[in-house]
Amino acid sequence: MVEYAWLVPLFPLVAYLLLFVLGRRAQEGVVTAIAVLASLAAFVVSLMILSEVQANGPGAPYMFHWLTVGSYTLSMGYEVTALNAMMLAVVTFVSTLVFLFSKSYMKGDERFVVFYQYLSLFVFSMLGLVISPNLLQVYIFWELVGLCSFLLVGFWYYKPEAAAAAKKAFIVTRIGDVGLFIGIMLLFVATGTFDYAGVFQAVESKNFAIDWISPEAFITLVAILIFIGAIGKSAQFPLHTWLPDAMEGPTPVSALIHAATMVAAGVYLVARAFPIFAASETALTVIAVIGGITAIFAALIGLTQNDIKRVVAYSTVSQLGYMVMALGVSAYVASVFHLMTHAFFKALLFLAAGSVIHALHHNQDIRSMGGLWKKMPVTGWTFLIGALALSGIPPFAGFWSKDEILLGAYASGNTLLFVIGLIAAFCTAFYIFRVFFMTFTGEFRGDKDTWDHAHESGPVMTIPLVLLAIMALVSGLFNSPVTDYALADFLQAGGLHYGAHPEHVSWMPYVATLVALAGIGLAYLMYKTKSINPERLANGALRPLYNLSYNKFYVDEIYHYAIVLPVVWIGRILNFIDKWIVDGIVRLVGQGTYVGALGLKYAQNGQVQTYGLITVLGAVVLLGAAMYAIGGVR
Amino acid sequence: MFSGFAITGQSVAFFLISLFVIACGVLLLSLRKVMYMAMAIGGVFIGVAAVFLMLEAEFLAFIQVLLYAGAITIMLLFAIMLTRHDEVEMPQKLTAHPVWAAIGAAGLGFIVLWAVKFSGVKWPTPSAESPWQGEDNVKLIGESLFNQYVIPFELVSVVLIVALVGAITLAKKEEE
Amino acid sequence: MLSVEQFLTLAAILFCIGLYGALTKRNIIIVLVSIELMLNAANINLLTFARFGLVPAINGQVFTLFAMTIAAAELAVGLAILIALYRNRNTSDVRDQDLMKW
Repeated sequence: MVEYAWLVPLFPLVAYLLLFVLGRRAQEGVVTAIAVLASLAAFVVSLMILSEVQANGPGAPYMFHWLTVGSYTLSMGYEVTALNAMMLAVVTFVSTLVFLFSKSYMKGDERFVVFYQYLSLFVFSMLGLVISPNLLQVYIFWELVGLCSFLLVGFWYYKPEAAAAAKKAFIVTRIGDVGLFIGIMLLFVATGTFDYAGVFQAVESKNFAIDWISPEAFITLVAILIFIGAIGKSAQFPLHTWLPDAMEGPTPVSALIHAATMVAAGVYLVARAFPIFAASETALTVIAVIGGITAIFAALIGLTQNDIKRVVAYSTVSQLGYMVMALGVSAYVASVFHLMTHAFFKALLFLAAGSVIHALHHNQDIRSMGGLWKKMPVTGWTFLIGALALSGIPPFAGFWSKDEILLGAYASGNTLLFVIGLIAAFCTAFYIFRVFFMTFTGEFRGDKDTWDHAHESGPVMTIPLVLLAIMALVSGLFNSPVTDYALADFLQAGGLHYGAHPEHVSWMPYVATLVALAGIGLAYLMYKTKSINPERLANGALRPLYNLSYNKFYVDEIYHYAIVLPVVWIGRILNFIDKWIVDGIVRLVGQGTYVGALGLKYAQNGQVQTYGLITVLGAVVLLGAAMYAIGGVR
Repeated sequence: MFSGFAITGQSVAFFLISLFVIACGVLLLSLRKVMYMAMAIGGVFIGVAAVFLMLEAEFLAFIQVLLYAGAITIMLLFAIMLTRHDEVEMPQKLTAHPVWAAIGAAGLGFIVLWAVKFSGVKWPTPSAESPWQGEDNVKLIGESLFNQYVIPFELVSVVLIVALVGAITLAKKEEE
Repeated sequence: MLSVEQFLTLAAILFCIGLYGALTKRNIIIVLVSIELMLNAANINLLTFARFGLVPAINGQVFTLFAMTIAAAELAVGLAILIALYRNRNTSDVRDQDLMKW
C-alpha cells in the first residue's frame, strides 16, 4: 500500500477539480458528499499505509526524474516514513470531520461550493507537503498551503476585517517563507540536492560545497533559516500575530488551520528536517527559546481575551510553542506526539466553539454567553473533554503529551524552560476553563431572543464533535505506559533516534496535574462561584498587567509603529517619485508623441504623389549625402 | 565642358535625336490636352528607339518601336478614349507641391549629372568598333536568352500570363 | 566620336522629366506614361553600358528586353485598374484616389 501513497493527496485534488467543474449551482448535499467521501477515502488509504508502515517499517522514497537544469537534476516523488504516515492519518481524519461539520456550519452560504473547493485544495496541499521527499517539493506545497489559508481566512472577503486578516496571514507567513526559501537554496547550493536523504547525509558528513563559512556555522545558519519558515507558518513569536487575526475566517477553517493543515506544517517541517537541527546545538537552543517564549507569551495573552475563538487561537499558539520547545530540547517524539494529540483536541475545541457560535448566530463574545450547558449538552460535554485534554488532566490526550514535553524540558537540564512550561500549563488550564465556565455555566448574558433560538446543533455537527472527543480521550494512550510507548517505538523505527522518552521522574505527572488543576480551580473560583471578582482584580493592582495581556503585549502596535508605518512612508515617497518623476517622464514621452502626431497627421493625406514626392526628396538628400561623402562614383 | 568633342555625323545625329526626345518629354509635361500628351509620348518612344539604334541594339530598337510606339501608345489612346478623352489638364496653381517636385527632380538630376561628369570618374574609353564584330544582334540575344537566361525568360512569361489574366479580371465589368 | 557621358546625360534628363511628370500630373494615364519614360531612361543606361562598358556584353540587351516586358505587363495592369476605377468613381484624377489614408 505504501507505494500508493500518492493516492492520499490525489483524492482531495480530484474533489477540488470535481467541485471546480460542478460550479456554484451544485447542490450542497452533493458537494459535501464529494468532499467528504474524497477525504474519507484518503483517510482509509492513510490508515492502510499506517498499518503497513507499522508492520514493515518505512520504505525508501519513490522518486522520478522531473527536469534537468544545467548539471542539476531535479526529481519529484513521494515517500512514507513513520512520521508522515502518522501525519497523513491525522490530517485526513481531522479534515474529514471538518468537512462534515462545515456542511451545517456553512449552510446557505452562496459560495458554499467554493468553500469546499478551497478546503479540498487546502487538504491536498498539506498532504502533498507531508509526503514530499525533497525540500523543493515541500516549498511548493508550503506556498500552496499559504495560498489556501489566504483564500479561506478571507473567505468572507466582504468583511473588511476578514480581508485584512487574510492579507496579514499571507504577508506575515511570507516573511517566514523568505527565510525558508533562502535556507533551501543555500542547502541546494551547498549540497547540490533537495532530497532529505542527500541533505541529511551531507549534514552528517559536514561535506558542503561552500567555502565562505565553516560547516558548523553553515548548518546553524541553514537550520535557523528553515526554522524562520516554521516560525511564520506555525505562528511562533515574533511572527504569531497572524494566527489570532485569522479567526475572521469561518470556524471550520480555523479548526483546519489550527489542527491539521497550516500551523502543523511548521512543526512538521522542523520534525522532518530534524537531523539538520540536531547537528547544531545553537540552532536547537534558538528553537527551544523561541518555543518557550511563544508558549508563555501566548498563554498570558489568552488569559484576558473575550472572543471565544481568539482564546482558542492563542492556546494554539501556546501549544505550538510547546511543540517547538520540545523539538528544541530534542524531545522529538514528545513534540510529534503533542502535534498529534493537539490536532485532535484543538479541532474538537474549535468545532465545539463553532457549534456555539453557530447556535448564537455568529456571536463570539464570551461575555454575552453563559448557561449554554442546558441548551447544548453534547457541545458542552465535548468542549469540556477538549478543555480537559488541553489542560492536561489525566487520562485525556493532552496530559500524556504535555507530560512528555515537560519531562523533555526537565531532562534537558534547562530549568527555566521547564518552569516556563509549567506556568504556561497553568495559564492554559485557567483560560480554557474561563471560557468554559463563562460559556456553559451561569446565567445567559445575551439578549433573550438569542437565548430562545439557541439550540443544540444537528447530527452533522455533533457527530464530528463526538468522534473528535473520543480521539481526544484516547489518543494520548498511544504513547503511554498502557501501550508501552507504541508511538515512540513506531517513530523511532524510522531511524530517528532523538529523545525516545526521557528518564521518568516520578513526581512529574503529579506536578503537571496539580498545576493544571490549580488553573482550573482558579477559573472555577473566579468565573463559576465568583468568590474572586475578576473585575476587581483587573481594575485593581493588576491593572497594568491586565492591560498588557488584554492588548496582546502591544505586539501589533509595536509592529505598526516600528515596521508598518516606516514601510508605508517609504511607499509614499516611492509613490510620489513614481507618480511625478517616473510617470512624468512617461507622460512627457506620450505628450511629445501626441504633439508630434498632431503635426504629422497632415502628411498622411492619402495622396500617392505626396508620398512619392517625400520619398524622392528623402532619396535626393540621402543620395546627395552619400555622394558628398564618397565623392562621386568610384 | 565637352572637351575633346569631335563634330562627326554620329554626334550630330545624336544631338538631333536627343533634342527631339527631350523636346517631346517637355511637351508631355507642358501640353494640356491628354490626347496631345499621348502623342508626345509616342515621339519620345520613337526617339528612344533611335538612341537604341545608335547603341547598336537593333533588335531592341525594333521592339521599342513595335511595343512602345506601336502597342503601348495605341493602348494608351484606347484608355484615354474609354475614360474622359476630352479631359484637359488644369493649369497648375502654384502650390508647394509642384515646386517641391521640381526641386526633387532637378536635385536628383544634378546629383546624377555631377556624378557622371564632374566627380572625376573615369568612364571607359568608347571603342569605335562594335564589340560584337558585326555578328547578328538578334542571334546573339536569342542565344543568350535561351542559354543563360532560360529560367528568367520562363518566369517573365509567367508574369505576362498573370498580368494578362489580372488585367482582364480587373477591367471586367463587375457584377451588380 | 560618341561618349558614355552623352548617353548617360540624356538618360538622366529623361528620367527627371519622367519623375517630375509622375509626381505632378493629375491624369492617371499620364502618370503611368511618365513612369514608362523613367523605365526608358533606365533602358538607355543599360544599353549604354552593354555597348560602351568596361566589359561590353550582350547581357545588357537581354536585361533591357526583360525590363520592357515587365513594363508592358505593368502598363497593362495599370490601365486595367484605371478602367475599373473610372467605371466605379467616374474620375481619372490621381488626387481623387486618396482612400488609402484610412
